[in-house]
Amino acid sequence: MMNSKYNYFHVFGTTDMHPGLVRYNLFKGQIGICFQAGNVYLQKNFSFPAEPLIETSGLTKQFGAIQALSDVNLRVMPGEIYGLLGPNGAGKTTTIKTLIGLQEPTSGRIKVLGLEPIKNPIEVKSKIGYVAENPIVYDSLSPRDFLEFVASIRKTNRASTEDLITQLANAFDMAQYFDSPIATLSLGMKQKVALVASFIHQPPVLLLDEPLNGLDAKSSRIVKELVGFHAQKGGAVLFSTHIMEVAEQVCTRIGIIYQGKIIAEGTLEELRGKTEGGGTLEEVFLKLTHEESEVADTMRMLREAFFHSEAK
Amino acid sequence: MWWGAFGRNRPGREFQDDLELTKRTLRIAKFDKAVVAVFNVFVSLAPFASYFLGTAGFGLTSAVSLSLTVSFGFTALYTIQTLSSFMSPESSALLSTLPLNRDDFSLITLFSFVRSFDYMVIGSIISQVVMVAYFTASPVATLIMLVASAMNALFAVAVALWFSRIFQRNMLRGGRSKANTLLRLFFILMWGLLLIAVGFLFSIPWYIVPNLQTTLLGAGHVWNLLLTLLYPFSTGIAVTATVSHVASTSLALASATLVAYGLLSFFAGKWSLETVRLVSQGFGVNVSRVTAHDFSVKPRGVLLGYVSKDLKVASRNPATAFFFALPVLETVIITLLNSNFGALRTILVLVGASLGAVFALFLPLALLSAEGKGLEYTKTLPIGSCQIVVPKALISTATYVPVPLALAVFSLFKPLTSSSTLLIPILMILPVASASVFEIKLFLRTAAQGKIASVFNDFEKLTLGVAVILAPVFVYSATFLLAFNHVFSLLAMSAVALAETAAAYWLLRRS
Repeated sequence: MMNSKYNYFHVFGTTDMHPGLVRYNLFKGQIGICFQAGNVYLQKNFSFPAEPLIETSGLTKQFGAIQALSDVNLRVMPGEIYGLLGPNGAGKTTTIKTLIGLQEPTSGRIKVLGLEPIKNPIEVKSKIGYVAENPIVYDSLSPRDFLEFVASIRKTNRASTEDLITQLANAFDMAQYFDSPIATLSLGMKQKVALVASFIHQPPVLLLDEPLNGLDAKSSRIVKELVGFHAQKGGAVLFSTHIMEVAEQVCTRIGIIYQGKIIAEGTLEELRGKTEGGGTLEEVFLKLTHEESEVADTMRMLREAFFHSEAK
Repeated sequence: MWWGAFGRNRPGREFQDDLELTKRTLRIAKFDKAVVAVFNVFVSLAPFASYFLGTAGFGLTSAVSLSLTVSFGFTALYTIQTLSSFMSPESSALLSTLPLNRDDFSLITLFSFVRSFDYMVIGSIISQVVMVAYFTASPVATLIMLVASAMNALFAVAVALWFSRIFQRNMLRGGRSKANTLLRLFFILMWGLLLIAVGFLFSIPWYIVPNLQTTLLGAGHVWNLLLTLLYPFSTGIAVTATVSHVASTSLALASATLVAYGLLSFFAGKWSLETVRLVSQGFGVNVSRVTAHDFSVKPRGVLLGYVSKDLKVASRNPATAFFFALPVLETVIITLLNSNFGALRTILVLVGASLGAVFALFLPLALLSAEGKGLEYTKTLPIGSCQIVVPKALISTATYVPVPLALAVFSLFKPLTSSSTLLIPILMILPVASASVFEIKLFLRTAAQGKIASVFNDFEKLTLGVAVILAPVFVYSATFLLAFNHVFSLLAMSAVALAETAAAYWLLRRS
């Protein structure tokens, strides 16, 4: 069955969907077929390891009286772009911070590449590329200085690092800003610096917390493509966002997180199947979070207030 | 679509948190300002207290002059720290989004400018004016002091504003050409030295105090003429003239000088207001961009990479850049300490090495505070706390190294009381490194605590650091008093220094 909107084949079998890309794992992983941009590729010894690269079970996190995460169960397989979708304060950032080991879970189990982040922080962090919700970087350094620092800590090879940085910096139009203090850059440019830093060691796992914050259309597109390339190489991506369109375009599987709980999970089609009438992801989201009527009420009130004040 | 507005999660909580955070920030800012103001009042009153207690060499003239000089130095030193962020391009960014006209912008910016030093300036003016009124009971003297004190504050703020502007402009200059890098290095050094020179105003006047009163009132003397040309001293003479006899030539020159400085302060005030107006319009400091021709980077390995980053971050932070002039300051202090003695005595070496080591102790905390929020990023990298601590401890220890070098150079010109004496400052390298490790580890442990708590924590860290540095010195002194043997004392000192180093190493390994 051909899906004209996203140009991928939906078939029976193990698939990793991505706009313009579909992978089939055939004959117990001996052959893989990739369809991309009208081309068909066959890949021998196609191997996405069966083990998930990111896995949590019964993950909870409490901040005093506030239950930030409650029994979160996640599995992100190699080649998968998992979208963590939810409103502000739903627990997306807390989930990511516990995955990288920045916050210790109250209870539950976390495994990243088979390792526990709290017990093996350095090993886990060396295999993760992380972009924070608000790009945290050293403001007084220039992007060059900052990337040099990250490359030094990550012990990357100079030639390959330079090559990668050159490609990414050119793609993100960073030349004019590469030697200016980061403090003087726009939010979008800071985000680009943080993104380049997260790719610098070509990690198997990417944890991206609202990575498109502040980015222009071209850069957003580039990031989406980069994330796709990363998954194609067998990497795993946890992509947190509150923007439905982004989740629809980028993610192969989506988990809807609400008040610290994953309330639904699956591909877009599967999520649509969980609600009556399906619709866009936005509609599915509102139905699953039971916010549809609340939003309708709010909009009614806002409309009245807006037109009333205009009439005045 | 943006979902935040529709989220039912924790209604109003973020707003409450923001409000609480804002209130807390304001409380902390007021607390900081109050502490600094109290200290400024203290340093402004100290010369008058010496005069009141009848300290030799102190008269009304020198008390007034020194009070003005010291409060100028302290105001400028503190204001440089706060005005540097005021001059940054972001300071007006938030305001510019509001529907305000230019005059309102300027007014708000002016208020925020004034609020950054108001407590301390008002405190020093009131304390100086009240002191002069008390000692002279003369309305004219009080009025002269009021004008001079206000002028003094105006000059201090203008100088700080000028420094901050130059610093920001230099730091924001993009590009990585060798000339630019050298210029920046040169600028940091100059800036640090100037700042330390301003700080020196605290102590330098005290060296000349014994002769100051007589010099200032000794008409016709060259030094009298030169000092009268500086407003703190001309104010002293003018104030004294209202209650006792002062040579007419001195009084005439002092009065003329005061009028000239009055005019100068008018222009300084006008320049400051114009600068504030420019800041309000976002033109405080212009950002220049230099297009990069390549994207080359040099990964240096963990230790060198971290050291290089720490040096860059601290040197580009106005509040910490002047620490890079510490080696110069240490060398100057050692030179001053030893200049009056014929031999390089053990006690002088002990005091010089201890002073240098204590100065070096300021660096670990400065490096950590310069890191600021960047430390959050560092925690996401594959790096243990040991690798955060060691580079900072190395940099701090490096700033101490000029001390043994300076003492070694002195030993070439002056005889030593004991040949083992020169080993003392070299041995002190170990306590400096250990103290830095302890300080940073304590900081990292308490980093999550609030600011008011951290004021006490800073004190705790510095106390621990000073104790670690002084313990070997104390052991050396105690052993010498008991055994009268330098070699034996040195061995005892080495044992303590090595024990401290072992403890620091154990702490590092544990992390």
